[in-house]
Amino acid sequence: MFARLVGESFVRNPRRKVLTAAALVVGMAVATATLTIALDAGDRLAREFRSLGANLLVRPQSDTLPVEIGGVDYRPVDEGAYLRESDLGKLKMIFWRHNILGFTPFLDVPAVLDVANPPAATTLIGTWYDHEVPVPDGTHFRTGLKTTHPSWKITGKWFADNAKECVVGADLAAAHPDAIQVGKTIEIGSSIISQIKTPLLVTGIVSTGGAEDHSVLVPLSVAQDLSNHPGQFRQLFVSALTKPADALSVRDPQSLTPTEYDRWFCSPYISSISYQIGQAIPGVDVRAIRRVADTEGRILSRISTLLWIVTLAALGAAALAVAATSATTVLERRAEVGVMKALGARNMIVGGIFLAEQLLLAVVGGATGYLLGILLARALGQSVFGVPGSPRMILFPVVLGLAALVAILGSLFPLHRAAHFEPAAILRGE
Amino acid sequence: MFGRLLFQLLRGSRGRLAVALIAIVSGAAVISALLNLNLDVGSKLTQEFRTLGANVVVAPSRAQGSVPPRGNALPSSNVAGLMDENLVFQQMKSVKTPGITAAPYLYVIARVGKNPVVVAGTWLDEAQKLSPTWKIEGNRVNSRDDLVHALVGQNVARELHLAPGSEFALDYLGRTAKLTVAGVVDSGDAEDNQVFVNLSVAQQLSNLDGQIGLVQLNVGGGSENVADVAAKLATALPGYDVHPIRQVTAAEGALLSRLRLLIFSMVALILVLTSLCVLATMAALAIERREDVGLMKALGGSISRVVGLFLAEVGVLGAVGGAIGCVVGMVLTRWMGHRVFEATISIRWEIIPLTIVLMIAVALAGASPLRMLGNVKPAVIFRGE
Repeated sequence: MFARLVGESFVRNPRRKVLTAAALVVGMAVATATLTIALDAGDRLAREFRSLGANLLVRPQSDTLPVEIGGVDYRPVDEGAYLRESDLGKLKMIFWRHNILGFTPFLDVPAVLDVANPPAATTLIGTWYDHEVPVPDGTHFRTGLKTTHPSWKITGKWFADNAKECVVGADLAAAHPDAIQVGKTIEIGSSIISQIKTPLLVTGIVSTGGAEDHSVLVPLSVAQDLSNHPGQFRQLFVSALTKPADALSVRDPQSLTPTEYDRWFCSPYISSISYQIGQAIPGVDVRAIRRVADTEGRILSRISTLLWIVTLAALGAAALAVAATSATTVLERRAEVGVMKALGARNMIVGGIFLAEQLLLAVVGGATGYLLGILLARALGQSVFGVPGSPRMILFPVVLGLAALVAILGSLFPLHRAAHFEPAAILRGE
Repeated sequence: MFGRLLFQLLRGSRGRLAVALIAIVSGAAVISALLNLNLDVGSKLTQEFRTLGANVVVAPSRAQGSVPPRGNALPSSNVAGLMDENLVFQQMKSVKTPGITAAPYLYVIARVGKNPVVVAGTWLDEAQKLSPTWKIEGNRVNSRDDLVHALVGQNVARELHLAPGSEFALDYLGRTAKLTVAGVVDSGDAEDNQVFVNLSVAQQLSNLDGQIGLVQLNVGGGSENVADVAAKLATALPGYDVHPIRQVTAAEGALLSRLRLLIFSMVALILVLTSLCVLATMAALAIERREDVGLMKALGGSISRVVGLFLAEVGVLGAVGGAIGCVVGMVLTRWMGHRVFEATISIRWEIIPLTIVLMIAVALAGASPLRMLGNVKPAVIFRGE
C-alpha cells in the first residue's frame, strides 16, 4: 500500500517532481565536481610547484667542504667524494617512488674552450636532459633536466644523451659570438686531467639566470670521460611531490613511537622521503632545499585551506538549493496532504510517504548528479589544470548520502507544518 | 499605489520570500568574499613567494668575457669582476621603488686552518631578510657594522667543528680576521658550505675596500613588477648585468592564473545554484499567487502591470539580499584572510555594486516562473480550478 502510494505519486504527477529532481541533479553535480577538484587540486598544485625546480639535494656523505660560488665548485676535481650513477635506479624503489617526479645528476669539470687565444676557461656541466634510467625491478624511468629544471630556456635543441653534443650558456655564447653558434663544433678539453680535446657539436644556447649561463652543458657520459670519473657524479637534484610540513614531520624520527613512526614513514613528507633516499643509497647526505621546500609547503597549505573553504561554500549553496526546492514541493502539495488526512491517514504515514518520495528522488537525482559532476569535473580540471579531473568512486556514496540528507532536511520543516494543517481548511482552498 | 502594493506583497508572503532571501544573502556573501579574495590573492601569494629569496641579481657584465678562472689554484680574488659598492647603491636608490630588500655580496675563498672555505661578505641584517627560510641555530647578527660575529653554514660547522660561541680565524694571503660564531645556518642549499660575515670584514680581508661582487635583490609585487623593476635597474646601471631569477617568477605566474581560474569557476557554479534556489522559491510563489493575480486582473490590472509588480518585488529582493550579503561577505572576507593568509584582506568597495547587480540579475533569472502568471485567467481561478 505504502509503496503503491509512493509509486503512484511519481507516475501520476511527474511534473511536480521535476523541480526537486533538477535541483538535486544540479546541486549534486556541483558537489561532485567541486569535491573532485578539491581532492585533486593539492596534488595538481604541488606538481605546478615543481616548476620551481628540485626540492632535494643529494651529496656524498664523506665529501669535503664544497668550495662553491654561484653554483660553480672550485675544488680540484680529484678532491672530494663521488656518487655512483648505477645506484640511481634505486630511487624508484623506495616506498614513495611515485612521488619522485625526477632526478638529475651533475658532474662539474673545469675545462678550457678552444674558441679564442688564449683558450677560455669555463666549466663543463655533465648532466642528463632526457635519460632512460634502468630501475632494479626491470622497468625504465625517463628523467633529467626536462623534469627537474623546467624553467631553463633553450634556443635550438637539447643535446642527445651519449652523443658528442653540447649546449652552451647564454653569457658564454654572447662572449664569443663568432665561435659559438648553433650547428658549429667547438673543441673542449679538461683543464686538469689531460690536454686531449673533444669536439662537441653545439645544439643549443641555454639561458637559466644562474651560473649555468657561463658554462657548457654536456651529456653526463662526456663529462665522465673527460674527467676520468666513469659512472660517477657529484651531486643529485631530486624533484619530489611532498606533503606540507606539520607537527609530525618536523619531529626527529628517533623520538617517534612505533605508530607515529609508521604514520611518518607512510606520509610523503619531505623529511620521510629524504630519509628513504638515504636508506636506498648508502653513504649519501640528503638535504631539503629549504628555500624551495618551505615556501612550497606554506603556500600549498594556505591554498588547500582556501580551496576547502570554497568547496564548502559551493556545497552549502548546493544544499540550500536542494532544501529550498524540497520545501517548495511539500508546500505545493498541501491539497494532497489534506485529502490524505481527511481519509484518516495519520501524520506518521503522511510524513513517511513524503520522505520516501524525497529519498527516492535523492537517490535518482544524486546518481544522475554524480555522473554529470564527473563530466563537469573533467571540463573544469581540463580548463584549470590542463588535466581532466579523474573520477573518484569514493565520492559516489558520499554524494548520495549528501543528497538524501539535504532532501530530507529540506522537507522536514514544511512537513512539520503540514502536520498542523486542518484538512477542512485546506480542502476549502484557504 | 505601485509602491504600496509592492510593500503589501512583500509583507504578505514573507515566509516564502525569506527562503529566497536566505539563498540570495548567502550567495551574495560567498560571491563577494570570493571576488574580494580573488583580487587580493595575487598580492598575498606574491608575499609568500618572497620567501624563495632573491629574485633579481645585479652583477658586473659578463658579456665582456670575464669568465671565472678555473683550475687547481683557488681564484685569487673574486669570481667575475667587481663593482663599486657606493656607485651601485647610489644608482639603485635613484630607481625609487618600494618594497625592495637588497644586499651586496663579496665572495672570497679564504682558509680556516688548512681548509679552503667560501666567505660571503654581505650585510648580515639584510641577508637574513633575503633568506627568511634559513633556520638559524644560535643567534642572528642584527647589525651590518658587527665586525666580530659571523654566521656559518651547517656543513662548515660540522667540518670545522664549530658551534655558536666558538672562535675561528679566517686567513687570506697573510691577512687574518678573528671571528666568533653567532649562529649556524641550515638552508639546504649552497649556503650551507659558506661562512657569512659583514661586508667590511670581507673587504678588509681581501684588501678590496668599497668593492662588491654582486647585489641580490628581493623585489615585492607580482612577476610583472619584478620584470619592470629589473628593466628600470638595467637602465639606471648601464654596463651591469641585471637579471631576474626566472624560476621564481614563472612558478608564481602559473600558480596564480590557475588559482584565479579555479575561484572564478566556483563563483560561476555558486551563481547557478543561487538562481536555482530562487527559481524554486519563485515557482512556489507563483502558484500561491494565482489568486492574487486573478483578483488584480479582475479589477482591471493589465498583464504587464501585474508582472511588472512581481518583477519589481523580485528586484527589491535581489537588491536587499545582495546588500545584506555584501556585509556578511565582508565579515567572511576578514575571517578567510585570517584563517588562510594570517593577514588582513583589504575590502574592495567596487565589489559591492558588482555583487548587488549580479544578485538582482540572478533573482530576475530565477523569477522566470512568474511569467506564467501572465496566462492566468481570472474566471478559472475564482471557480477554484
